[in-house]
Amino acid sequence: MSIFREHKTVADRTASDRRRHKQKIEKAIKDGIHHIVADESIISKDGKQKYRIPVRGIKEYRFVYGSNGKQVGSAPGKDIKRGQKIGDPPPKEQGGQPNKASGDKGEEYYDIEITHEELAEYLFAELKLPELQKKQLANIENEKLKRKGYRSRGIMPRLDRKKSAIARIKRMKAAGFDPDAAGENETFSFHEDDLVYRHYKMEKKPCTNAVIFFVMDVSGSMSQEKKFLARSFYFLLYQFLRLKYETIDIVFISHDTTAKEVNEKDFFEKASTGGTKASTALTLANEIIDKKYHPSAWNIYMFQCSDGDNFQEDNQKFLEEIKKFESYAQLYGYCEIEPEVSWISDSGKLFQLLRPMRSNKLKLVRIQKKEEVWSSFLDLIGKNSKENV
Amino acid sequence: MDYKLDDLKVWDDKIIELAKKNKLDWFDINYEVIDYQEMIGAMVHHGMPSMYSHWSFGKSFEQTMNRYNVGTEGLPYELIINADPSIAYLMRDNPLYLQILIMAHCIGHSDFFKNNRMFKNTRPASVIQRLRAAKKRIQGYVENQHIGIDKVEKTIDACQALQFQTTKYGQERRPHSEIYAEYVEEINNDKDGRYTNFNLDLYPLEPDYDLLGFIEENANIPDWQRDIVHVCREEGQYFWPQIQTKVINEGWASFQHYNLCHELELPDELHLPIIKMHNAVVRPHIGSINPYHLGFHLFKKIKERHGIEECFLAREVCYDASFLRQYLTEEDCVELNLFSYSTKKTLGATVDDVSDERGWKEVKEDLIAQVAGGSIPIIYVDEIKRDKMLIIRHEHEGRDLELKHANEVVEYVKYLWNGPVKFYTMIEDEPWEID
Repeated sequence: MSIFREHKTVADRTASDRRRHKQKIEKAIKDGIHHIVADESIISKDGKQKYRIPVRGIKEYRFVYGSNGKQVGSAPGKDIKRGQKIGDPPPKEQGGQPNKASGDKGEEYYDIEITHEELAEYLFAELKLPELQKKQLANIENEKLKRKGYRSRGIMPRLDRKKSAIARIKRMKAAGFDPDAAGENETFSFHEDDLVYRHYKMEKKPCTNAVIFFVMDVSGSMSQEKKFLARSFYFLLYQFLRLKYETIDIVFISHDTTAKEVNEKDFFEKASTGGTKASTALTLANEIIDKKYHPSAWNIYMFQCSDGDNFQEDNQKFLEEIKKFESYAQLYGYCEIEPEVSWISDSGKLFQLLRPMRSNKLKLVRIQKKEEVWSSFLDLIGKNSKENV
Repeated sequence: MDYKLDDLKVWDDKIIELAKKNKLDWFDINYEVIDYQEMIGAMVHHGMPSMYSHWSFGKSFEQTMNRYNVGTEGLPYELIINADPSIAYLMRDNPLYLQILIMAHCIGHSDFFKNNRMFKNTRPASVIQRLRAAKKRIQGYVENQHIGIDKVEKTIDACQALQFQTTKYGQERRPHSEIYAEYVEEINNDKDGRYTNFNLDLYPLEPDYDLLGFIEENANIPDWQRDIVHVCREEGQYFWPQIQTKVINEGWASFQHYNLCHELELPDELHLPIIKMHNAVVRPHIGSINPYHLGFHLFKKIKERHGIEECFLAREVCYDASFLRQYLTEEDCVELNLFSYSTKKTLGATVDDVSDERGWKEVKEDLIAQVAGGSIPIIYVDEIKRDKMLIIRHEHEGRDLELKHANEVVEYVKYLWNGPVKFYTMIEDEPWEID
């Protein structure tokens, strides 16, 4: 006779092995992260998303035969002849040379699953996030006291008189004491056990809504490296704000001489070779704000990356639109990624243009290599991470 | 799920009744109904409820997840272990017809495990407890601050590399003293001078094909390491019979599920998808050998040609090589259109022989060479020289080893032996040494 059992296991039996495996191929994962951050939409996906990235796995070695052995196949109904070719020739490296110097028999790649949190962690490690800051980033939250039930102990201001009185009456009835029949000097006093206090708990409550405008100048060329820098930067900013706000809307705007709202994929992949009119992006953003995101209900942010200059004639318009945006927004951050520096000055025109407008709400940073992403990020959000935004 | 656990019991009872009638004799099966994630986890542990921790299982998990997301070959999510009582897994979301098919298939496997003589020494009644105890001990070594996870892991890495360089039938190791006494006897009775120059100081006196066992017995390593070698060696020995009988085992189980499902008198809505699934499972894979296909085909033919009694005999005494040697005929080779191929350096993979009148025997030999663990090279201990140097050799039977792998494994042997090692093989007809 067989026994049937419904197995509802809470513990995941391979969890620790998978963790250990991940630890061992951390380097391969970090190398893979590079691709996933450069290629995948990671900002517009929600936190519960899991990613499968191809990694070069750890090789397990056993005594095995080389490839000069014979194998048997089955092909009923097909016409097979001696000498017939049934596969592609082996890769060039093996040809001509005897097996002695053989390289790896095809590195094995397979997908490994990582969560959004792990992605953030590996990315932060890649960007050399100091340990302490990692914790700070995780703890940036607003805390509020929230009512939660009752306790028999507490402080006087929290005493719930009504409930305490009811408790006393219950006890009175149980003891058989009838207040009406009692004499003048007979009282039924309160006992400590009667007292009921209101209980509060500290609850992390994100405050309202935010909308983030990510703006990118796509008139230059966006290499894989630049994409990685820009995306890591935006990702950090997004992670930071995500912890503060319950709802975050994201608007991607890419521009050359005209601006367009796009999705994350196109945002990072499209590139054109036109000139640059940065004001168009700001104009579009302001329009969108007027239409959908009223500043009284939304906390508005914009982060703009550029690797190029701006058309001279456009500068004035750009400044005007920036000023308009500033009036709505919490924070505007301009980031220069590997600027195309002219021989004369050491920073792009937009950077220079915005310099005098620097304030708490308008920040400028520069990123040339990935080690700078983190420090630029800190500059942008202000070193004091508990600032009220 | 459009059925309940009790429905499964009802069907299982019917299957059991029919199986008994058909003279099957198996270890009782405990079915665990689990979900997809748990199934992958169970497969990675080869169905064992307890297994020691190692990163390779984590890797296996990711790879298996990949494979099952892409598509499946063989019977999907079939998992049963050689144990008494046995444990088999059913995936919760599987439709009823598939559960019925799997249960019938599992009875075939359990019957095979119980009766096939390759499994005689696998100790199915205690394997689960032994593995659980091993897991605890290994966990203890990991937590022991004088040992720690890195050393334990490295040891397991090395043992897994050598896992199948051990005895195939779980036979006991013969003590050196016993073999020594035998040779002394031979020398004393040596009439034709065969043992004149025989060196009794050789250790081992004969080539020792149980590399892991030799290391366990003779290496100068701490007890905890010796214990891990022992655990991995036992694991290798436990699984060897399954490696040796892949074709015949799957063939037998498919043969049983085929017969049982026909005899069950299933309503159409269950019978038809079962037939469809069965056909998918036993279809030939172009360019390779599908053990379900080959095994099922052969059992059908054996029943036709020799009767059902012969089938039962085969399931008891054969392993893949003898199974094929005994029962695979020219007619089968032609019907299955078997061919052999190999990969040449510049030409790529080309066909060497086909199943025509002059070639079928060669193809059959090639097939026999590749089954029953035929893809696992044979390595033996030759001797221990002065300074504790371990000499190991590859028994070359025509196929060269893959060198990068061989180099890495020799490093593992050095680690486990805890001393110098020299390894000899042949590459392209020339002697080759790794040290």
